[in-house]
Amino acid sequence: MADTATTTNKMTARGVNVFYGEKQAIQNVSIDVDLENVTAFIGPSGCGKSTFLRTLNRMNDTVASARVEGRITLDGEDIYGSAMDVVQLRARVGMVFQKPNPFPKSIYENIAYGPRIHGLASGKADLDQIVEKSLRRAGLWEEVKDRLNDSGTALSGGQQQRLCIGRAIAVEPEVILMDEPCSALDPIATAKIEELILELRGNYAIVIVTHNMQQAARVSQRTAFFHLGRLVEQGPTTEIFTNPRKERTKDYITGRYG
Amino acid sequence: MSEAVLPMSATPVATSRAPTDWNGEAMRRRIALRYAAERRFRLLGLCAVLISAGFLAFLLISMGANGARGFMSTQIKLPVDFPRSPIMIDPAMLSTNPDQVLANANLPQVIESSAQAAFGKDGDDYISSGAVAALRKAIIADPGILTRKVTITVPASAGIDLAAKSDGSEADEAAVVKLEQARALSTGFNGGFLTSSDGTDPTVVGIWGALKGSLLTMAITLALSFPIGVFAALYLEEYAPRNRWTDIIEVSINNLAAVPSIIFGLLGLAIFLNMMHLPRSAPLVGGMTLALMTMPVIVIAGRNAIKAVPPSIRDAALGIGASPIQVVFHHVLPLALPGILTGTIIGMARALGETAPLLMIGMRAFVASPPGGITDPATVLPVQIFLWSDEVGKGFIEKTSAAIIVLLIFLLTMNSIAIYLRNKFEKKW
Repeated sequence: MADTATTTNKMTARGVNVFYGEKQAIQNVSIDVDLENVTAFIGPSGCGKSTFLRTLNRMNDTVASARVEGRITLDGEDIYGSAMDVVQLRARVGMVFQKPNPFPKSIYENIAYGPRIHGLASGKADLDQIVEKSLRRAGLWEEVKDRLNDSGTALSGGQQQRLCIGRAIAVEPEVILMDEPCSALDPIATAKIEELILELRGNYAIVIVTHNMQQAARVSQRTAFFHLGRLVEQGPTTEIFTNPRKERTKDYITGRYG
Repeated sequence: MSEAVLPMSATPVATSRAPTDWNGEAMRRRIALRYAAERRFRLLGLCAVLISAGFLAFLLISMGANGARGFMSTQIKLPVDFPRSPIMIDPAMLSTNPDQVLANANLPQVIESSAQAAFGKDGDDYISSGAVAALRKAIIADPGILTRKVTITVPASAGIDLAAKSDGSEADEAAVVKLEQARALSTGFNGGFLTSSDGTDPTVVGIWGALKGSLLTMAITLALSFPIGVFAALYLEEYAPRNRWTDIIEVSINNLAAVPSIIFGLLGLAIFLNMMHLPRSAPLVGGMTLALMTMPVIVIAGRNAIKAVPPSIRDAALGIGASPIQVVFHHVLPLALPGILTGTIIGMARALGETAPLLMIGMRAFVASPPGGITDPATVLPVQIFLWSDEVGKGFIEKTSAAIIVLLIFLLTMNSIAIYLRNKFEKKW
């Protein structure tokens, strides 16, 4: 932790507890997310890694019974503070979901929607440029440039997920949260997304939740292991995978349970 | 896996069971029964469809047969010799103020004497009271006829009309024979039925007054119930906190949709007429009353349609920083609109056919001229059908059928528009 916590921390969480009604889903999690490294959250199903991810852009606000304690900051600003506008926060902290969920609109509209509602484009030409740039960054431009007016839902699963990543990129976020982005995709589509994540690294702070430990090893530089709502261990990915300090981490990584 | 580790070992598995005989007699019988049940079920379904189709065909054929005659009318060629008729007219005044001149021109007398001259002393009984209007039209079209003898086509009286089309009284049948011999009878499309309003003589009544009343009433109903219903549904689904009050409102709306329509009529009578003193018999009040009835249907259909929008679309929009209202208006509402329109079709179709609540607010009055606006006295199609079906005059029977055809066409048109809109929105998304 100490090696990166000093200068480039994009988001920090300190003592975060999350409750769904009476049930506590997350207990006392503290973690940092930085620009240089892709951070992976791993752990068995129901361990709270997705729940914690959703506290980072306040998507849990939509769940009426959810309650978040502790302090989470973006560039030192408390994201649960009264000065933070949740709509702006979600533009700055983008999200890619487990199942590809393009809008049932054209490919162009899918990308253009975010810049349009945030007033990022100064005209039609500017918007066209943003769409092209976002699709290029999402590695989808060559495949769809001739059919931008086709429906986004007509693409294949892997293309849809890259469209969703492009949609998140289009609003120029600072952080991108990915909630098991490859769990509904085949290995070839997965490889493309992983490639994309590596390319995006450095431009955006990226957090990825995954079930797949090989994936965490491939794309991330830092890994956090969650179990039963607690953050068991975090550190450089190579260290977590080769030399875990905690017994439970070792058991999970070696496939003893999970 | 060995038996030793099974936790079920407390209840030993019977080992003496014979292996299942898949080709045995019992098994074959079971399969035969299964197929028989399937055939029976299919046959029952087919019967149900055939019975409903039969009823529909019967309704349409009987309505069509009766109603088609309602759109036709028997006409008599009446020779009128203006110079020798008791007409009192000043040709000089005709061009400046024709309506008043003709109103005082003693036209009924002209018809009577002309008919008696042409067809004998009962001649004027063969002619409908609508003949005056035909005569007036002919004079306005060509004032030159006032100086000579011309033949004017005028509507036949109800008795002659009936006798010519199907079965009339003996005297009328005899008169028809006589007129046919004189080659004075003809049958034509009754254009007046679509342009005039209620009256006492079945040969001159029309549906336009009731049709216009229905149009105005439906416009009011739609203008009130659609926005209120959609916004109520959106609020309840997207914004309302989940608590006891929301539950109470939800139950109330569901109950409201099931309240008998006559109760809404009483409500309209008590509130809109007695408390708010809005005009009686007016499409405004009728539309407001029907909107009360239609709104819960739209709310329920709207809520279901909104619920059916996948949460992933909401997440996607929220995830790139759309505000709740942008999520609703950019994503949820367009996706839910086809479902909302389906609910609106059902609600409006029900409102269009509704009679009882409109009787309570006075829309059953005899209204002989089409309403000029939403506050004028009016009647609506189903009430007009109800009123005509109550008339003893025989000519009203086919008018009733013709009015039903107009109502059905109105209904089909309204639904087609809604279905067209629904498909349009579905394609766009």
